[in-house]
Amino acid sequence: MTRGLFPTQEIGSLAKPRWQILGQRSEPLDESAKEELRLWDSRTGFAAEAPEVRDALLGGRPRDASPDAVRDLGALFGLRFLETAGLDRVYDGEARRIEMYEHPIRQMHGFRFGGHVRSFDNKYYLKAAVTDEVRLDRPYHVDEFEFVKAHARAEPKLPVTGPYTLADWSFNEYYLARQPGWKGRAARRAAQQEFVVDLARRAVRPTLSALIYRGCRVIQIDEPAAGTHPDEAAIVVDGFNAATEGLDAEFTMHICYSNYADLLPTLLEAKRCRQWAWEFANRDTPGHDGYEVLKVLAEYGDRRDVGLGAVDVHRDAVEPPEVVADRIRRAAKYLGDPQRIWVNPDCGLRTRSLSVARAKLESVVAGAALARAEIENPRR
Amino acid sequence: MIVRTGLTGAFPRSEALVTATRDLDRGRTSAEAVEELFAKTEEEVVALEHRLGFDDRTAGYLRWSDLFRPFAETWEGFAVGPLTRWLETNTFYRQPILLAPPGRTPGAIAARLPPPLVRSPKTARVLLPGPYSFSVMLDNRSGETESALIHRLGRLLGDEVKELRGRGFATFLFSEPQLVVQPPEGPRAEAVVAGYRAVEAALNGGTSIVWTYGADARPAFPLLDRLPVSVVGVDLAETEVDHLPAGPSRTGLGLGVVDPRTTLPEDPVEVARVVRAAHARRRPSAVWLGPGAPLDLLPWEPATRKLHVLPAVARALSEGSA
Repeated sequence: MTRGLFPTQEIGSLAKPRWQILGQRSEPLDESAKEELRLWDSRTGFAAEAPEVRDALLGGRPRDASPDAVRDLGALFGLRFLETAGLDRVYDGEARRIEMYEHPIRQMHGFRFGGHVRSFDNKYYLKAAVTDEVRLDRPYHVDEFEFVKAHARAEPKLPVTGPYTLADWSFNEYYLARQPGWKGRAARRAAQQEFVVDLARRAVRPTLSALIYRGCRVIQIDEPAAGTHPDEAAIVVDGFNAATEGLDAEFTMHICYSNYADLLPTLLEAKRCRQWAWEFANRDTPGHDGYEVLKVLAEYGDRRDVGLGAVDVHRDAVEPPEVVADRIRRAAKYLGDPQRIWVNPDCGLRTRSLSVARAKLESVVAGAALARAEIENPRR
Repeated sequence: MIVRTGLTGAFPRSEALVTATRDLDRGRTSAEAVEELFAKTEEEVVALEHRLGFDDRTAGYLRWSDLFRPFAETWEGFAVGPLTRWLETNTFYRQPILLAPPGRTPGAIAARLPPPLVRSPKTARVLLPGPYSFSVMLDNRSGETESALIHRLGRLLGDEVKELRGRGFATFLFSEPQLVVQPPEGPRAEAVVAGYRAVEAALNGGTSIVWTYGADARPAFPLLDRLPVSVVGVDLAETEVDHLPAGPSRTGLGLGVVDPRTTLPEDPVEVARVVRAAHARRRPSAVWLGPGAPLDLLPWEPATRKLHVLPAVARALSEGSA
């Protein structure tokens, strides 16, 4: 597929609309939920594609719409929300998932959930312990991909949580208990290696294989935990390579809030990865160029595409398109090649309101267009 | 063997607090309701610390967003910066940005301490960032050199200790992961010693604990042994007992024997064996047992369960030495 410069893509989940949450519980929508549904229908036209579900929700008859039908409408909303923002690659906002960790773990055997852990401020995630060997009943994300494939107007890119992140965000009981002696760093590392490769082979690879069989061509392996233990970069790579072994698709790897230089050059051994989709905008602050780290890729001679985090997903202030364009410009300078740049938010936008998320995505698209115009029409 | 026990950092929020604080962010509950729950949960942590026989109380520091936020939000010269990974964990802090030489705001930190500690300061363990870790983990745009900044932060923390001593607080734990993650050398190491001298001068008979975690402490011991503090703590999930330098040690020996990186429970008998080995090697005045790193890496329930290991180890040690 030929593309212009600076194509745009989403990275992860969107906040679930309140009408979807209430509708899936078969609860009547309050006025604000109805207003939210009407607002986004007017802006994206998504609900017109399932008028009976929309009418049941808006008409105070939630039981006339099945939870599955409401969930489908949520997925349709995510798709149209991203498409009408102007993105080239889209998904469904992960409308069917609880979140990127808990959802896949709940499809597996061998785990026990033990409560929430704080990520930062008032943000938490439910964390499980692996207490037995990892087993998978059947591949996950398949139904959601089938739905996206049937309804997407732009190119779908499916996010799948990577084996290293699934392992790192879990408490390791089973594999650690198998290590002899005092459970120090060396024991933890050996247990982690075993856990990651088991997850890759027993859960992630079968899922990727099933998705590719059903026509999935672009898959983002989410490894936000990759930078957590820089001395485990080789385990990240082992997990990625084991999960993608023998599979043919365009794989990208999303990493965020990490010191990327610490992971290199080991990370470059992820041979089937074609794009690094990394967060940068969060660290692009006055007096500090958050994109300069891209020089490292150039220094190692890595020629893969870069998914450029161009808007911060943890602050409400919306970056104007000019700021996005400036960030793209700087990235192109450090990489020495504008052709390799995709533009996206730093990470999933689920922590922002839908209106802020939308404004940021529109800024991504407009900023990419600005930068594209500058390069394609340099005299303008 | 004199054995003391206590928390060495923040405790996790309860599931009820998780729900309440999420609801607060989403506009589904009131600040007053959340405040009420914080107060109730702090009392629960204090009761737990009392029940487990800990030597002093922390109330869990449940309200603090991260170790530095109370300082970044109230001290002069700071701004609250980007989301930054907290050591090798899946938790994050807002990196303080230092835009000008820092200055204390008197009373500001006392106002951020958990209310149960303020009501009973004599039995409280005050949690503070160590001057070195603070200096390394902030974004220094103030123009001060690293060494000058370490020393200045030490003096400011000394002033903080002085103020808090005046309010009746007596035990201060300085969270210092960076002393072992990136051990300072040369002028920076001297600045660390000078910083803790400033703390020592303000202690006036109080207790100072430097707690390290996040990496093997062995390379840092030449410096750790020079610090003018009451206790130096190391995380035994990172540091092999055989790597501890031989004693006798001038300070108390802190041993992190509960690992918040796993829910796998520690075996008190095995831990007691390791503690005895560490004690025999270092020959400290006392052993201070605690979690190796802040327990807020765990959910509330497993953290609570794992804390019970500490009195069990203390019992095993006393039975073994009887």
